[in-house]
Amino acid sequence: MAFAGSTVHIGCAFSIVEILAVLYRDHLSYPENRADHPLRDYLVLSKGHGVMAQYACLREKGWIERAELENYFGNGTRLRGLAEADIPGIEVTAGSLGHGLSVGVGLALAAKRKDGPQMCYAIVGDGEANEGTIWEALMFAAQFGLDNLIVIFDKNDFQAMGPTADIINPFDLAGKLRAFHFETMVVDGHDETELGTAIALLKSAKNGLPKAIIAQTVKGKGVSFMEGKNIWHYTRLTHETYAAATQEVTAPLK
Amino acid sequence: MRKTLSDLLVQAAANDPCFLLLTGDHGYALFDCLRAEKPDRFVNCGVAEQNMVGVAAGLAKAEMRPVVYGLAAFIPIRVLEQIKIDLCLAQLPVVMLGDGAGFVYSSLGSSHQCFEDIAALRALPHITIMSPSDRHELVQCFEAVRASQGPSYIRLCKADLGDVHADGEAVRTGDWIFPVIAKRQRTICLATGSMVRIAQRAIERRALPVDLHSIARLKPLDPAAILDICRNRDRIVVAEEHSIFGGLGSIVSEAIAGKITADLRFLGIRDKFSGECGTYQHLLHFHGLDEDSVLEALAENV
Repeated sequence: MAFAGSTVHIGCAFSIVEILAVLYRDHLSYPENRADHPLRDYLVLSKGHGVMAQYACLREKGWIERAELENYFGNGTRLRGLAEADIPGIEVTAGSLGHGLSVGVGLALAAKRKDGPQMCYAIVGDGEANEGTIWEALMFAAQFGLDNLIVIFDKNDFQAMGPTADIINPFDLAGKLRAFHFETMVVDGHDETELGTAIALLKSAKNGLPKAIIAQTVKGKGVSFMEGKNIWHYTRLTHETYAAATQEVTAPLK
Repeated sequence: MRKTLSDLLVQAAANDPCFLLLTGDHGYALFDCLRAEKPDRFVNCGVAEQNMVGVAAGLAKAEMRPVVYGLAAFIPIRVLEQIKIDLCLAQLPVVMLGDGAGFVYSSLGSSHQCFEDIAALRALPHITIMSPSDRHELVQCFEAVRASQGPSYIRLCKADLGDVHADGEAVRTGDWIFPVIAKRQRTICLATGSMVRIAQRAIERRALPVDLHSIARLKPLDPAAILDICRNRDRIVVAEEHSIFGGLGSIVSEAIAGKITADLRFLGIRDKFSGECGTYQHLLHFHGLDEDSVLEALAENV
């Protein structure tokens, strides 16, 4: 997809692959496999730049076609470079950062007021957490006791122009979230077992506290020459790098 | 007008289980009745307007019908991008109430005044913009936007100027134009919001031979409807408590450009902030929008 469309934002898609895999495989409920079912769980990809990883999941759900991935970025097609909410399964248009979490909070509030069973999962980037609206939304979620909300921070330690530590340092993100009254866990964001255990545990705790998972991740995870190399926020694949990356991500696990 | 708005909110809460009122910690006395009768429908989102609009979008996606209240200086101006992305692009049925538009908060200064909201919102696809001139128009506007399937904004100007229409006489056209004086006279004043009442008083004071129409829905607005009421006039005066850029003046200009030749005048804020403190009437005068200034503009050569 990234090669076909000659697109950027590969690194920020690779850091959330396992998070999405665990959510779609084990947690997200879509009755009748309908992306718009009124009783569905909500997945809000607030860091809309990672959308390529979500497109792969939506293909698995059968909501977009394989040809759409192969024609990514073609004229007249519908899959854009940033999450847009007219695609089945994408809840919020999230190319402008700091929007999705607030909408997710509204979805969680609506579900809670209706005593519905639904969960809302929101994936927020650590760069995105520069936005003030993220913190507005966190305060609101705590005030309204949204224990059906799990905010997953993709802490890949990079933002567009460099390491978060050099731009807007999140410092003790877990400590901040706990101070904001979130039940917070820190996990390896590429370890599906750890992720799954944390989500299951937090989902079952109906204690009036909103939940947060800090997923420690690696930007560009899975391709040795992309891992931790922020240039892959903006670099496009060539024939050579595409072949090398494909070989790495399809190689059998050692 | 505020009593009417309070009643409308209480009725909506009583009739619609999906109704919620969201406020950014503003509107203290306005919600007393709602809070007394339906406390669970009142959500104070705190001083965080951007989040509030996002929350409203989420609620609307989940089939709730939120009404978002704020001062016009904040809703829509502070939250314009949330309106664009979260409400208009998603086409969600969220009603926004922008209170104190124009110079209502005259003595508090420019941060709380707002004369750019129509211009900012008009460029967004899918939004409906209402600007009622009195409580009778407000009732009709509120009921219409509550029934609509997309986002909407009701612009609320100075609330205590008195009624434009007598009881039962606020009758609108299909394009939401309320004729106030319609005698096909050579001069017509097209006004919106507070300026309808102010122009009406000016016209009545001197019994000026001037027609007056209240333009209550600024978007969508069929240019043909404006063109129709502007035909066979010598002078067209547009009056709004808004910048002369991007508001009703621009709407009228776009509608008649190249089709009608008339002496077209714009009464509005002429590209400046309120440079001084003072009462509402003082700032109307400062910007040339008080009754005397309007009278002068309408009476010239008539």
